[in-house]
Formats: sequence, structure tokens, C-alpha cells
Amino acid sequence: MSETTSTAAPEKVRVRLTVNGTSHDLLVEPRTLLADLLRGDLGLTGTHLGCEQGVCGSCTVLVDGTATRSCLVFAAQLDGATVRTVESLGGVDGSLHPIQRAFHENHGLQCGFCTPGMLMGTCELLERTTEPDPDDVREALGGNLCRCTGYQNIVKSVCAAGRALAAERNGAQV
Amino acid sequence: MSTVEDRPTTATTGSPREGERRWVGRSVPRKEDPKLLAGRATFVGDVTLPGMLHGAVLRSPHAHARIVSIDTSAAEAIPGVAAVLTGAQAAELVNPMPAFCAEPVPQTAVAIERVRYPGEAVAIVAATDRYIAEDACAAIRVEYEVLPAVVDPEAAMAPDATRIHETLDSNVAFHRTLDFGDVEGDLARAHTVVRTRARWHRMGAQPMETAGAVASWDPFDKSMTVYSNSNFHNFLPWAFAGMLGVSTNRLRMIPCAVGGSFGSKHFITKVLAIAGALSKATGRPVQYLEDRVDNIAANDNVGCDRIYDAELALAEDGEMLGLTLRIIDDYGAYFQFAHGQHGNAMAQPTGPYRISSLRYDVSCVLTNKVQQGFFRGAGADPGNFVLERLVDKAAEQLGIDRAEIRRRNFIRPDQFPFKTPPGNVYDSGNYAAVLDKALELAGIDDWRAEQERLRAEGRYLGIGLATCQERTGYNASEWWFLYDNPPLPATSTPESVKMDVDAMGGVRVEVGCPLWGNSPETVVSQVVAEEFGIDPGDVSVTYADSTTGAMSAGPGGSRLTIMLSGATRGAARTIRDKMIRIAAHAMEMDPADVECVDGTFRAKGAPGTSMSMADIGMRAHLFFHDTPEDESSGLVAVHTYDHPYSTPPSADRKDMGAFYPMVSHACHIPIVEVDPETGVVTLRAYYAVNDCGTVMNPTLVEGQIVGGIVQGIGAALMEEYRYGEDGALDTPTFREYLVPSMHEVPEIVVEHLETPSPFTEYGVKGAGEGGRLVAPTAIASAVDDALKPLGVWVDELPMTPERVVGMVTDAREGRP
Amino acid sequence: MKPAAFAYLAPRDLDEALDQLAEHGADARVLAGGQSLVRLMNARLASPSVVVDINRVPGLDALAVTNGSGPATLRLGATVRQRTSELSADVATHAPLLAEAGAHVAHAPVRSRGTVVGSVAFADPSAELPAALLALDGRVVARSRSGERTIEADDFFTGPFRTSLDPGEMVVAVEVPAVGARTGSAFVEVARRHGDLPVCGVAATVTRADDGSVAGTRIALCGAGERPVRARAAEDALTGSDGGEDAVAEAAARAADGLSPIGDCHGSADFRRHLARVLTGRALRTAIHRAAGEATDV
Repeated sequence: MSETTSTAAPEKVRVRLTVNGTSHDLLVEPRTLLADLLRGDLGLTGTHLGCEQGVCGSCTVLVDGTATRSCLVFAAQLDGATVRTVESLGGVDGSLHPIQRAFHENHGLQCGFCTPGMLMGTCELLERTTEPDPDDVREALGGNLCRCTGYQNIVKSVCAAGRALAAERNGAQV
Repeated sequence: MSTVEDRPTTATTGSPREGERRWVGRSVPRKEDPKLLAGRATFVGDVTLPGMLHGAVLRSPHAHARIVSIDTSAAEAIPGVAAVLTGAQAAELVNPMPAFCAEPVPQTAVAIERVRYPGEAVAIVAATDRYIAEDACAAIRVEYEVLPAVVDPEAAMAPDATRIHETLDSNVAFHRTLDFGDVEGDLARAHTVVRTRARWHRMGAQPMETAGAVASWDPFDKSMTVYSNSNFHNFLPWAFAGMLGVSTNRLRMIPCAVGGSFGSKHFITKVLAIAGALSKATGRPVQYLEDRVDNIAANDNVGCDRIYDAELALAEDGEMLGLTLRIIDDYGAYFQFAHGQHGNAMAQPTGPYRISSLRYDVSCVLTNKVQQGFFRGAGADPGNFVLERLVDKAAEQLGIDRAEIRRRNFIRPDQFPFKTPPGNVYDSGNYAAVLDKALELAGIDDWRAEQERLRAEGRYLGIGLATCQERTGYNASEWWFLYDNPPLPATSTPESVKMDVDAMGGVRVEVGCPLWGNSPETVVSQVVAEEFGIDPGDVSVTYADSTTGAMSAGPGGSRLTIMLSGATRGAARTIRDKMIRIAAHAMEMDPADVECVDGTFRAKGAPGTSMSMADIGMRAHLFFHDTPEDESSGLVAVHTYDHPYSTPPSADRKDMGAFYPMVSHACHIPIVEVDPETGVVTLRAYYAVNDCGTVMNPTLVEGQIVGGIVQGIGAALMEEYRYGEDGALDTPTFREYLVPSMHEVPEIVVEHLETPSPFTEYGVKGAGEGGRLVAPTAIASAVDDALKPLGVWVDELPMTPERVVGMVTDAREGRP
Repeated sequence: MKPAAFAYLAPRDLDEALDQLAEHGADARVLAGGQSLVRLMNARLASPSVVVDINRVPGLDALAVTNGSGPATLRLGATVRQRTSELSADVATHAPLLAEAGAHVAHAPVRSRGTVVGSVAFADPSAELPAALLALDGRVVARSRSGERTIEADDFFTGPFRTSLDPGEMVVAVEVPAVGARTGSAFVEVARRHGDLPVCGVAATVTRADDGSVAGTRIALCGAGERPVRARAAEDALTGSDGGEDAVAEAAARAADGLSPIGDCHGSADFRRHLARVLTGRALRTAIHRAAGEATDV
């Protein structure tokens, strides 16, 4: 394993990014993972780290609208990017986002550690697909591991969220 | 068989009986959800204290080696590094690991002089962030003298095997044979004896969140605060204090939200010791959070690793007579929890059957692997596996339908409470009814027809069947009763809550357990709602730290709903009775004539004058002269609920006593398709009927069952710690140790049957482990059934594709 | 698991990137999708002192079909995401095997960032896309400061995670010849779970002659050796045959000839040889069937 031979720390990188609607202008070490930028520097601890290999999906956030493993991207890569985390769901008044509400109503979580990753993956899915069926859900979230629920209620929750959002949209159109 | 001593069933004075319950038994929405959904729950990795450092661990690449030298100088020179400690240095700050029984050898969190499993800690670092701490680990120079690694437990038993611990005479840390009933007689008398040599491989809990602690040592008042995801902060805090080198009354352990545990986070003493040592060395708070590699390699989340030689003796008509189990269990390099997993297995080794004799011969063997801890099932999981395999084998050999042979041998409803040969009691059950309901639920005839149809196409569909016990609510005796003279024969496994009603009538309950992903807040709220007739949403539930919590053993052994409802009901009754007395006094009535209905206190049967919770609350808090003379101010109760029914083992260990008597039961019927050419097993459907007594909250119970079943799918098909011949861990990350994804899970249909427990409040039993206790053997049964035309017999888990192909090949070539 | 420190470079055009690679040589790694590289770096299995992020280099994200004087060519640039390839109509039409293999790679979020070229250049012997490229008779377009060259897939993969790229060279595109008439393809694999790397996978293309006999076939295996390999003995057995069950069975029986699979916790070498035989048979049956059909179905 090679080590950096220079004794000086590598130059920091300027990153201007928007996180949950707030813009930031930061200087980051190249090796800082997006997950650690969010959790540490920005205090957004809702995004969790389960494996740091991209295999468990707990760290999933939206980068430019795409579900992304925040453990597999350096913050330095994201100059100009828009990031959304679980903290962007739900209101300051404590109201739940329809996706969160669907998980609550369908017992889609137990310990809650994988849940933020599931929720953000669901955000992308429901923006792309109206009323996904269970196969669509597995295709989108199959890489998100959960050790507690056995998944059945997660799939149910996501499908319910899809119907709820579709109903909202239909209601808005009427 | 000895009879169960008379034991009064729970009194239910003044409270609703089954059928009149309003909240117990309802799928009340989960109170724990909002903060978890919002990402606002505080897990240990989210805890930040001023000046906090981050810990990392350098781990041994060798399974067995002598540490010749450690040079930490380069590491210490890295900017941002505050402390680097070797095992010897850490040992000056914290003490060896406490053990459930006397450990035969001391275990330190960081190895001193010798490493005994791949990934054992060799040095620890505290730095300003985890990145730098890992840089420091990479800069530590360790010289090892590699020693022969002992990987095979049977080889480890040989007298000339390399010793894991040179202070011991052999690698067999424990061996005992116990006979219950007339084993020899039953074997002699049997018409048929079926045998199996079965293998249950090493698996681990692998919760999504790893174990961690933030330790903050104050050198000036010699106190320590520890945030962690350990379970035992209100059960054994003094043991942690001893390990951390802190006075027992100067340690404060604060629970965090826990991202799953499944038994693995009961103690996590190594993690706390590492954080504690680094905090003492630096005088600053230190967070040590395992990463995934740390957790898989070195957390105590590993379960059983067993080789069984087992026999079931039967009469000609299929009546089961006796069971013998000879077990070799690979415990790894240390024995911190002793043989507790076998004590656990002893709760139900004869399953739901009227088997009258048992031989239990267990050898606990040390090898160069991480030690066993507790993983959902905690020792009874392989026991269920082996027994059900024997029953299926017996059915086949005797030509009896496998459902029928079970029916013939089930303990009958009129036989409860039933005392099993080793001594544990089963409180209630109706196993035949569960079986029949499951067969109907599965539509068994339709699946048989489908199986035939597919066989004609050259495809292999299998229908599994398993009927198993799930013991719930353990007593501590299971940890030590296999020893004749245990050093600490503890018998307390209580649960406590503190409840108070404030001056405005608000109800708060502080629980002693942590939040593991089960639902203590919801259960507590349901019980309070039931007892007071208020809405569960109005109840506030908080988590006590070790300075305010009363004794609570927390989640584990499927005990929490039982114990928490007992503690909550007890506290609720105490306060409610006091409120009745205060209300009666205020309304100038006799307390016997006052009842609490819908959160109001009024005359029985004459709802006219009434007082609200707030009326009484205010009066109780501030109006001492207006309450009965012998009442103190306030409305607070601490209730410690002890194990509802336990008896000690006999001195001769012919009777282990009742130690796990609330016994749930389930029948699982999985449907699989097996591709014999590739070995791939696909689950097509899954049916389960579960009896956990009175169901406190159906949705939550189903969540536990389904979650457990999916872990059982993992056990059946993919989960395994694998080691190379040199002892290297070949499954160090989630790319090698595989847990099921949602793609591997079929639709799981669950239904309930309730035979209430006579021993508990509301008749509840536990439900946490059941799914994983039954699913592995049920799926083995299904694969067996699928490959029956090929003559395959399943006796090893997990059934990886390679093993399945191997079984098919062996069967084709006539190998056993 | 946190990576070691490195210098981060984000070149704005290809020449700048190539200059940086030439300057830093073996100390530098190219970052495209990062789904393999960052994973390795987190585990400190790779600790380059310089990371060259090519995601801002224009033109590398092109996915196009070029019709020159010869047969059409499908070209995917270095930053074409796996998800883009998977959903592309051009890929479905001209190289359905690439889409079919690609659907097995990891999960949606990983494929959204991961690139086809990145997977090829990473050269994991178990991975699907390198095997697909091999079966498709594809080639790699490599550039360095000194120029451009094309490397046939047969010559590109030299060992586990090793390619024939020179220091300072990077892959700017992969190219596959558009699938011709009467050609069917199939990708089959055995993986422990959906989305995992295969224990063994087979990518096969079969072209039929006018009389229905097998005019040509390419069979590539992953998870069966130190690098993705052609099952040449199986190819020879099938070529010229009638493509019937006996011919397929004989080809399948030869699929493991000359293989030296690397055993690991997911499968021993012998098991991988066994799967190579079983899966080759299945892939060939499907490819032959598709070759006979009007359109290839993915």
C-alpha cells in the first residue's frame, strides 16, 4: 500500500454546492467523502454509514436528483451540485412528507438505520415512475439492505407512497 | 416426568380482561417512527461532544501470532494524532473483559503479546478525525511471529493440537454430558433410531449499524460518561465500571438509538474499553465507532458454529421416545459468554414433542476465530434445525406423513404447563391447531399439485414444513447452570420503568431498556392507555441512563414485550390506585367505589361527579393537606418486574428448573424451487402461523416475524463466516458475508393463533426471535422436499449453490 | 474505512487529463464513476497519490453509432454511465448483449454513476461487462499524450484487475461492431444475490449461416479465471455444427477446457468449472434461439 510521500497535506478543493436548498461555499480535503461532509461539517446526521463500500445503501442521498451512494463519491467532485438528504423531507412544523407517512402507516421501518437511504431512493423512484409496482420497487431499492424488517413492509410502503403522491397530483389537477 | 409446581396465574383485578381490551391487541401506530423517519434519532455515531476525538483500531492480519514488537513512533508523529496505545498500554488504563461466568483466560480489548484471531485489535489510536486515525494505524509497525492457526474445531480437540491459550490444558474449554430421563432405555426399546450428522455454520448478526461508544473521562472527579449502543447500561453497569476502571457510582452510561442488534450489542465490552482507554489516555471525549470490517471481524455478533451427531429414537408407530445430541461447538478464541448458548438451547431441545429422554453432550472448543456472542436464536436455532431434520427423516424412514408424525407426538393442550425432560416448562400452546392452520393457509394440496406438474417438466419445487418452539423471556440461570459451581449464579433478569403523572395530568414513562428497533415506546404507551383509558399518543416515553434507570435487562431472548408490559402495568397500577385513593378522598367516597375510566376518576357505575387526570395530578403535587393523611406528595412509581416464573436448577443438574417458560410456537411452510444444475434456491412463497400468546400489537409482531424469517433465509442460503486454512477470514466485508436483499424475499404470509400465557401480564409471550428460529430448518426441509427424487438429504446450512450441487452429486454417486 | 490522502485534479479537457496522467504515471488513477475506485480507496486497497477526475472532460459522455465504410460501430465514451447504456435504444438495437449483461451489474444507484468503460478498464475477472465486450469482439480506444491506439478485447485483459494499458494511457471509449444479421446473443450468470458479481457468467453470441448452421460463435466467461476468457474449445465444437441440442451439449462439455478459475468464498475453482459448463449450454441455447428469430429480445 503506497502512502503519500509529500509531508504537506494535499491542497483543499473549493466546492460550491447546495444541500437541502441551502448553498454552501466550502473548502474540502480531497478525500472527504460526501457522507462525511454531510454528517460532520454540515451536521446532517440523518444520512448513515453502514459499510463504506456502496453495498448496503444506508448512505443513499440524491445528487442532482439521482440516488447516489454518498460513501462512494468525494465531496470534492461536487462543485456545482445539488444534494438532498432525508432532512429535506418533512416540514419544520413536524409534518411528514407523503413518503415518510407511507412508511409510518405501513410499518416500513424498525430500527430506522437504513431508512433514510430507503426514503431517498424512493424519492428518485417516485419522481421517475408513477405508482411503481413491487418489481419496480425492488429494481430501484434492491441494493438497499435492511436487517430488521424483512423488506415486505418497505415494498408496501413505497407502493403506498406512489399511490398517495399520484392521488395528490390528481387532486391538484382537479 | 415431574410435574410443574403450582404457580398462581397473574391477577387481573380491576382491569379489562381479554375481549374487553381497548389498546392491548391493537395495531397502534409506532411511536418510535417520527424521529427515525426524519433522520433525527441520535445513534452513537451522531454524538458529538466538544473536543471529541475519533478512535480507530489496528487489527491483526494473522489468525495466530506472537507480537514481537510494536513501533508506534511514526504514528504518534502524524499531525492530529492525540494518542496511540498498544495492548500493554491500554491495559494500564482499563481492565480485562468481564465475563458471564469465569472466563478460563483473561481477555483484553487490545491483544497483549499474542493475537488469537484474524482482526484482533493490536493497537488503538485517537485523532482529530477518523481519517487521520486510520492514517496513524497504517503507520504503526508491528512485527509478528506467525503461529499455526487452528481452524477446524475437531482438529482443535486433539491433545497435540496447537493450544489457543497456553495456560489451558487443551482447546476444549468446556465439556459436559447430561442425561435426562431414561436415555439408554429409550434407545434400547426403540424400533427405529434415525441419525444425522448436521452442520450449522458460523453466522453473525450484522446489524446495519455497527457497535460504538463515546467515552468521556473526567480525570478531576474520576468520573466517566459513556454514550453507547450497549444494552446492559441498566443491567450490569457495575461490570462496565469495573472494566473501565471507574468507581461504580461514578460511571454514567447513556443509551443511544440502536441501528439493530439481534443480540450482538448486549455487552460490546471491547468497544467500550477501547473508547474508555483512549479517553483516559487523552483526557478528552473519544468516539470509537466500528466500521463494517471492525464489526465483522471483531464484534461479538457471531452465533453458533456447531457439528451435531444426533439420534432420535422412535417406536414402530412413530412415537418419539428419546433424543441424543452430541455437539461440538466452535467458540473461537475466547469464552466471554461461556456456554450460555447451550443453556439457551436447553430451553427446548425436545421441541414441541412428548419426547421423554434427552442426552446433551456438548464440547465447547476454542479456535483462532472471533468469539461467539449472541445472535437471534442464541443457541436454540441450530437445535431446532437438527430436531426437525430428524423428524423429517423419521417420517420418511417409517413411511409416515411428516405432518402426521408431528401430530402424533405434539404435546397436547391439556398437558400444559408442560415440564420438558431437562426441566424447562412450556406454559401453553396448541401445536396441532397451529399446524392445521398453517397447512390450510399454505393451500398445501395446490402446491403438491404444482410440484407434480413441475416435476414433469424437469423442475424441482419443494414444500417445507417445520414446527418449532420459540422460548421467550429468559432467566439468567441459562448462562451458568451447566457448571456445578459457577462463580456468579445470578438469577435476576428484571425490567423496570419509572412512571409519573405530573401536575397537569401528563403521563411520562422512563424505561430502562434502549431502543433496538423493537417498539418499547409503543408497547409502554399501549399498556398505559389500557390501564388508564387514555390515548397512547398522550403518553411520553423516554430512555433512562444508568444513573436514573432501575434494573432492566433490556431486549434479548424475546423478552421485552413480556417484561416491559409487566413493569409498565405494575407502575401504572400503583399510580392509578393512588390516584383512586386521592380522588375518593376528594369526592368523599370509599376508594373501593371509585374507578378509572377513559382517563377520568368517578364513582363506579354512576358517571356523575368525576375528576380528570389533571385534577388529581395538581392535587397530588401541590395540595398535600387535601390528600389522604398517609399519602406522600407526587404521583411517581418505579416498578421492577422480575421474571414471572423461574425455578432454580437442582444441585445434581438432573433438573435445570424452569428458566424460559413462556414458549411461543410456530409452523412455517416455505415453497422453494431448486435448480440442481446450478444449486440456486429460489423462494416462491412463504407461510407462517405464529402463536406468541396474546398479541400485543399485531403489526409489530408481524414485523418481527417477517424480519426474523428473512434472517432465516440468510441462514438457510447464504450467511457464513469462512476461513482459509491459514486462518484468514475470507468473509471480511458485506461483499463476502452476504445478507438477503429484497430480491431474495418472497411474499411472506403470517397469521396468528393465541394461546395466552398463564404466567404473564395480559398473557403475552415474546416474538422477537421466532422467525429466525424456525425459517432455517423450514427452508432446509423445503430444499429436501424439492430434491427428494434425486435422493438428497439436507444436513448442512447454509445451502450455498456449491453445497447444493455437491449434495446432488453425492446423492447421484451414492455418497452419504 | 477512510481513504488515504491524495491530490485531486479535475482536468477541463482531454489533453490536460493526459498531461496529468503522463506526469504522475503509476501514482495516478482515473476517476470516472468511482463505484469501484472509491470503494477500493476506502478500504485502502488502492491509495493513489493523485486522482484525475475525468467527469468534466467534454465529449467523453458520447454514446453513438457510427456508420463508416464498414459495418456500423457502437461507441461508448469513457463517462457514459452504465444506466445510460442499459436504457439506450442504440445499445438495445446494436449490442443487446451489452444491455443484457449490464442489467446484472450491481444496483440502480451504482449504475447511475458507474461507467461502462470504467468497468472494462477495472478488469475485474468476475465482472459482466468485460466478458460482454469480449463476446462482442469489442475493442478499447486508448489515448495517451503520445497518441491513440485501439486494443482488441482479446488483448486487453491481461490478469486480475490488469490490462495492457501503458502508464499514462487511459481508455477514452469502447467500441463494438453492431450486431449483424442472424446473430443472437445471451448472457446468463449465477450470482449469490441479485446484483452481486457472478460466481460465473457466460456471454455468448452465435451467428447462423443461411442454411441454419452455426457460422460463428464467441463465448466469453467471467468468474472463471484470472481474467475474462474465451471458451475456445467450446467455440470450436459449436462452429460449423447444426446448432442442435447435441452440438450444444458437446460445446458446453468443452466450456471448462483450459480454465484456471480462482476459487473464493463464493465458489471453488471446481464449482466454477462446473458452472461454466452448465451456463455455456444455457447461454448457447438461448443465443441460437434468438439467432433464428426476427429480432433479438433483451
